Amino acid sequence: MDRAATLDEVRRVLRDTLQLGRRADALTTKSQLLGTIPELDSMAVVSVITAIEERFGFTVADDEISAETFATLGSLTDFVDDKLRV
Amino acid sequence: MTSSASEAHELELRPFFHAGVAGRVFSLLVAPPRGVPRRGGVLFVPPFAEEMNKSRRQVMLQARALATLGYGVLLVDLYGTGDSEGEFAAGRLDAWRNDLVAGCRWLGREGFEPVVAWGLRWGALLATDVLRTLGLRRLLLWQPVADGRQYMDQFFRLRTAASMMRGGARETAQDLRRQLEAGATIEVAGYELHPELVRANDNLRLDAPPGGCVVDWLEVVRDADTQVSVGSQRMIASWRQTGVDVRPAAVVGQQFWATVETTVAPALIEHTSQSLSGHA
Repeated sequence: MDRAATLDEVRRVLRDTLQLGRRADALTTKSQLLGTIPELDSMAVVSVITAIEERFGFTVADDEISAETFATLGSLTDFVDDKLRV
Repeated sequence: MTSSASEAHELELRPFFHAGVAGRVFSLLVAPPRGVPRRGGVLFVPPFAEEMNKSRRQVMLQARALATLGYGVLLVDLYGTGDSEGEFAAGRLDAWRNDLVAGCRWLGREGFEPVVAWGLRWGALLATDVLRTLGLRRLLLWQPVADGRQYMDQFFRLRTAASMMRGGARETAQDLRRQLEAGATIEVAGYELHPELVRANDNLRLDAPPGGCVVDWLEVVRDADTQVSVGSQRMIASWRQTGVDVRPAAVVGQQFWATVETTVAPALIEHTSQSLSGHA
């Protein structure tokens, strides 16, 4: 999966999990997530992580994620990209 | 609600308290309208903690749909949850199990037999347990959780995520398990978890019901070309080898137990109703 496809898929995960609807279409790699999208509370963060695990078929350990991972759509996509490379 | 006002009027909603093992347990019977032939009962076993709050609307819509078909559906708030007495920290698996068994027997006494055990997510583990205890023959599973310990670890993640968002020291599931082993009650997403409850949950596994049982195994997926999960397929295959009649289906919809806003999955209700009315 190339980065553009990964980005698109991560955006879909956010759209479906947070019910962002068409707001998700406007998200770019620079879009701030944590602290900016009100739907993204701690419960939603867990739902996003679980959805990413299911969608991409890897497991995320507790110590792999940090607030920085969820800073922007770009940083979240980088995280998934790195996991897919391992 | 999709049901019309007149239908809602005809259905009987009977709330009552059961004298449970630990205290009073709130129960709601959703009974068929007068004149509809009775098919049997359905005992609902709720999912864990916040997943139940998110699922209430979907569950109520399904209960109404089944009542319209002639089922008496019993919705029980586990002790320490919902409108039942007690705090969540006082919730114990054995008491919950006993209260559910009592609810099932009550359905029988009210003339709603045979009873279908219906479990959502974590509730699938207890529903299977109740089925075995009472020798029921039919199980309805919605997005079943297969492993209690793994589920607890996922639940602990809520606290890990909260600590991550505060930007302080991060707590992992292992950190929380160490506190539990030392006898501490820990709080996750507003729920006080007693070490005994976690220990009992850890030991829950989705084991095959006795041969000959009929199981509807339903999962909600995002698009029409997705099947039930790989893990579920493996388990379904092994159940079939022991003579269990498993009927799996993946229906498209929102994962209502996890979504931020309240959502419902109408296709799941439709499939469930068709299956229990014998037209699936």
